[in-house]
Amino acid sequence: MANLVSSIQFADPYFSVLLLLIIAVGMSVGFVFLSQALGPRKYDRIKYSVYECGVDPFTSASVRVSVKFYLVALLFLLFDLETAFLYPWAVLFRDLGLFGFIEMTIFVGILLVGLVYAWKKGALDWQ
Amino acid sequence: MAPISIDAAALLTSVQSIVPEIIVVATAIFVLLLDLAISEEKKHLLCGMGLLGIGVALFSVYALGQGRIEGFSGMIVHDGMGAFFDVVILSACALTFLMATGYSEWEGTHKGEFYSLILLSTSGMMFMAKGTDLMTVFLGLETLSIPIYVLVGFHRNRMSSLEGALKYFLLGAFASGFLLYGIALIYAVTGTTKIPVLATMLYDPRILASPLFLAGTGLLLVGFAFKVSLVPFHMWTPDAYEGAPTVVTAFMSAAVKAAAFAALIRVLLVALPGMQPVLWKVLWGLAVLTMTVGNLSALVQNNVKRLLAYSSIAHAGYILVGLVSGDVLGGQASLFYLLVYAFMNMGAFGVVMLIAQKEDEGYDIANLAGIGFKYPALGALLTLFLISLGGIPPTAGFVGKFYLFSAAVKNGYIWLAVIGVLNSAASIYYYLRMVVYMYMVTPDVEVAVPRPPRILFSMALCASAVVVVVLGIIPRSVLEIAERSVLSLLM
Amino acid sequence: MDFINSHILSLMTFLPLAGAAVILTVPGGRDNLVKTIAAVAAFLPIPLAVQLWFTYDRTVAGVNVASQFQFVEHYSWIPSINVEYFLGADGISMPMIMLTTIISFLAVIGSWNIDKQIKGYMALLLLLETGMMGVFCALDFFLFYVFWEVMLLPMYFLIGIWGGPRREYAAIKFFLYTLLGSILMLIVMLALYFNTTDPETGGHTFNMLHYMQQSTHNGWLQGFDVRILLFLGLFIGFAIKVPLFPFHTWLPDAHVEAPTAISVILAGILLKMGTYGLMRISFPMFPDVTKWFVIPMAILGAINIVYGALCAMAQSDLKKMVAYSSVSHMGFCLLGMAALTPAGMVGAAFQMFSHGMITAMLFFLVGVVYDRAHHRDIDGFGGLAAVVPVYTFFITVAFFASLGLPGFSGFIAEAMIFIGSFGVFRTIVMISASGIIIVAAFHLWALQRVFLGPLNPKYAQLEEINAREIFCLAPLAVMTLILGVYPMPVLNLMNASLIRLVDVVKMVI
Repeated sequence: MANLVSSIQFADPYFSVLLLLIIAVGMSVGFVFLSQALGPRKYDRIKYSVYECGVDPFTSASVRVSVKFYLVALLFLLFDLETAFLYPWAVLFRDLGLFGFIEMTIFVGILLVGLVYAWKKGALDWQ
Repeated sequence: MAPISIDAAALLTSVQSIVPEIIVVATAIFVLLLDLAISEEKKHLLCGMGLLGIGVALFSVYALGQGRIEGFSGMIVHDGMGAFFDVVILSACALTFLMATGYSEWEGTHKGEFYSLILLSTSGMMFMAKGTDLMTVFLGLETLSIPIYVLVGFHRNRMSSLEGALKYFLLGAFASGFLLYGIALIYAVTGTTKIPVLATMLYDPRILASPLFLAGTGLLLVGFAFKVSLVPFHMWTPDAYEGAPTVVTAFMSAAVKAAAFAALIRVLLVALPGMQPVLWKVLWGLAVLTMTVGNLSALVQNNVKRLLAYSSIAHAGYILVGLVSGDVLGGQASLFYLLVYAFMNMGAFGVVMLIAQKEDEGYDIANLAGIGFKYPALGALLTLFLISLGGIPPTAGFVGKFYLFSAAVKNGYIWLAVIGVLNSAASIYYYLRMVVYMYMVTPDVEVAVPRPPRILFSMALCASAVVVVVLGIIPRSVLEIAERSVLSLLM
Repeated sequence: MDFINSHILSLMTFLPLAGAAVILTVPGGRDNLVKTIAAVAAFLPIPLAVQLWFTYDRTVAGVNVASQFQFVEHYSWIPSINVEYFLGADGISMPMIMLTTIISFLAVIGSWNIDKQIKGYMALLLLLETGMMGVFCALDFFLFYVFWEVMLLPMYFLIGIWGGPRREYAAIKFFLYTLLGSILMLIVMLALYFNTTDPETGGHTFNMLHYMQQSTHNGWLQGFDVRILLFLGLFIGFAIKVPLFPFHTWLPDAHVEAPTAISVILAGILLKMGTYGLMRISFPMFPDVTKWFVIPMAILGAINIVYGALCAMAQSDLKKMVAYSSVSHMGFCLLGMAALTPAGMVGAAFQMFSHGMITAMLFFLVGVVYDRAHHRDIDGFGGLAAVVPVYTFFITVAFFASLGLPGFSGFIAEAMIFIGSFGVFRTIVMISASGIIIVAAFHLWALQRVFLGPLNPKYAQLEEINAREIFCLAPLAVMTLILGVYPMPVLNLMNASLIRLVDVVKMVI
């Protein structure tokens, strides 16, 4: 079995990626079904209500969320992506040397300008 | 793992090949920061700084010349073609800034991000025009598109602006998806995204016959067709053009079209000439459809912005005629026309912008009534731009169209030329309709009072007019540059 | 002086344009200055035309021989596609150049009473003159096409802004019809361009003279059916301008709505461009197709003559009647050309010149009465001869000239056309001859209704024709009379070229 896997892996370097994908999807889907299949089920009236505890809902569930949340979410995405770039750079820091350092400085610098802009425009003020 | 070696000389050439783009991006960032530092009354400085940056970028294009500089291991190349489109796009951007001096005051777009977004979009266009790798082209396309989506919806309080932005965004996102999927399929078959390498791969008949490759090319074409608004991928154009702030509309019609065509020309002429028989029939059909539908729809418009939007669709069709011809003359004609089109169309939008006092309401064609005599300079300018759009000598529009159709005839596409020429005749009707309103219709109430143009605004209009007239009478040098640009592509 | 001699055609073409540029710099409100400048700019080509008249060598033919063209100016214009700035004159263009200078100048004088936007009016009128001169001088097809189109716009504005009540409709109709024609011309031009080469450089060429030598044996021009298509494309383009039935419907509209002086130019010069184009371009470039097409051309000519005359008879509007009489008279040109005999061809060219003057007179005269009575209804007048004898004298002269009375130039032209074509197509000519009777009938009938009979008391105080108007009419009337008695000055001018043209067409079997 191990032999077979490694030989396939040789034939196609992306095979391991596919394998990872299958396992990841399989596990997440599998757990949902597993809990469905194995968990004990006892239904009553309360279980069918929207909330299992607390008071009955008195407004629509689809309320408007303040636009400020979106701003924060956007900023979060931005810096999250930044990390995604920073990480491989950190791994290869020594190999990339000065060139990589300058590149990254420019990249981070541009993001910094963005942050300053957002800050000055008041995107970070909650009020 | 092998150490990554960075060749200092190659790096320097790489940087050199994108100097104009670097300048534009730097200007964009600087303008954004400057906006934070200056007070409300000094916002016109933003425009000035932007213009300065564009000027320096134009100078750098001039300094780089038409020589071939390959950068980033063949992902980007500064060649004659790239330089030509840099000039077209930067000129369109400069005209936009000049017009924005006035427009921003009237419509409240004097904001750092407004100018910054235009500059960022410009940089994307320039990358797209210079990209010799499908990935660079795609990145350029995204960099140009995203700021434009925002710019179209810049008037947050106008429904039409939001509607246009949403439509443009959704369809634009689809287009990007198509393009990317097309690139992926092409990569799947050929194992490369480099445009010059693709060209050599196509000598292999197995690749040419592969259905995946055909599908990939088709999707690629659809992606481009969305961006240059070829029929039947043009649905977004009238709404986005109508809704966008007029300065942005002018910018889009000239610069986005130029950039997308630049990439399309590169792909078609360099990578895909091997697909001649199949692909060219499709392009033929697209060109005919685009010209005809664009012109026929424009005939019935009463909103000047929509009218010009449909006219710009039709013009995409004319430019495609040059590409269908598929030789140096055709490419040269398309390049020349794109340059001329940028000036005449932006000029027309500029005058219309002055006459319409308000977005949405001011663009009714009846608003033009009586303008011709009350404001002779505006009337004459708009007439000049319109007859140039219609292709009547001695304007640059005529020389451009003449070249396009002669390329078609030369390569045996007689019917295409005939259809194109008939279309261009039909288009005269709606251009002249605007002229009729300006000079021959007595206004119902009173003549609209145009907004007084700023000096820089007038400069933009005069510059456009000069280009339209001069290139109509002595097109020689620009035609030669266009020819050299296309030749640089085929080297 | 040397400069003038070597650039005489350019000067004649661009002096009016320079005048237009000067006019645009005149500050508003100084109408008389504008008119004076316009008159000077339109007058300046006349001495140059006189210079042409005396220096033109009447013994050489031109037509398809480059070395025989006179006053040639030949420069490169757009070298990448070999477009040349190539002007020259021969016997086909000389009379037309003369006519253009005279009629344009008289049109400026005739526009003296325009008061709406005089600056724009005069500038456009002068631009129009530049376009017309350019068309008659150009020997490069591209240049010809550019001038042809340049002429369109001023005409469009002149009708559309200064015209009558339905001016927008008339202007657009005129524009679209003519544009359709010129577009067909454009395609033919491109087809010719890519199938001919300049023998010196080997590149493609727009030189008309090269076309004439090569259009039958290069590329896919070799196919007769292709040449037929190309010929028809050009023919329709020119036929719209002439205007030939069934492309004539723009003409009455344009004429009725156009201001007087513009009608004069339209009928006096623009219509001649159609027949000029046939002579200069269609015939020598496609001689074999021309021969194949003579019968349809003659039939179309005959239809024009009879149908135009019948329509004229049915009109109650004096101007519309004159407009339809133009349709009829231009039919004679086509008939004469179709005969492909020296007499027919010379007659046709002479008819172009003569009709240019006569119809100009007629439109001036209609304008005179319209200015005073503010209508043109033939039945609305009556007995005017008693009130305005001088005016009546002039209109009688013009009508007689127009109906082809011997002693006027129109008679000579029509006689030559009939002589030249009778031997070739007998039936068609006999049918056409009936047109002459109808032409005479409606002229006389109109004369009777407007000027004879009991005086309509409404017009008892009608103002007599004034000195300026006489100044416009007298030269034309005198020339018509002189050429009617002794046509040789103009015939000499064009004989050699037209005989050569007939030979060029006939040479091919």
